Amino acid sequence: MALFGSSSNNAAPSQQEVKTAIVKQLQQEAAMANARNLIGKVNEHCFEACIPTPGSSITTQEETCLSQCMEKYISFWNAASRTYVSRVARESKRLGGAESLAMMATPTDTSL
Amino acid sequence: MDQQLDVSKLSDADKKELNQILTNEAQKSNIQQTVHHLADVCWKKCITGKISSGRLDQSEEACAQNCVERWMDTNLAVLKHLEALRSQ
Repeated sequence: MALFGSSSNNAAPSQQEVKTAIVKQLQQEAAMANARNLIGKVNEHCFEACIPTPGSSITTQEETCLSQCMEKYISFWNAASRTYVSRVARESKRLGGAESLAMMATPTDTSL
Repeated sequence: MDQQLDVSKLSDADKKELNQILTNEAQKSNIQQTVHHLADVCWKKCITGKISSGRLDQSEEACAQNCVERWMDTNLAVLKHLEALRSQ
């Protein structure tokens, strides 16, 4: 219940507070879902790449590979994101769309 | 919590603003979904060898870019051909 900290002395939250609370919660959930998605993919691809033949225990080599793979995947994701976002912006400009697509890029390193 | 987030007390202007924010968030989330898909598909095509560094090297980055661009081209080509089929 400490959503608004000590500032609320049991008074009903103002409209502004309700609004920011909803937005904040939504953004947190979206960031969570995005991170979970990313971790799932990292798991999938890095397991594939680093553990070709599962042994009776994980080796230090495999662990190093997993760390490197994870960093690489995140960089790769960000590169794909940058390229995709700029392409979409280019396409929508070409089609004369005035849509502002500026805020759609959220590289993972800022949201993790 | 539920009663703190009571939307019904918001003014129309606030509701409208909230609606706009939600639409933006939904769009952002859509784009992130697409990027997850793209990273998935392109990783399979671009990262085939042994992983020996945590950094993305130049050729890998270039491959990622080309992969995304060609995926978009594919998308557009499919739509274009579909359009042609439709008007036959």
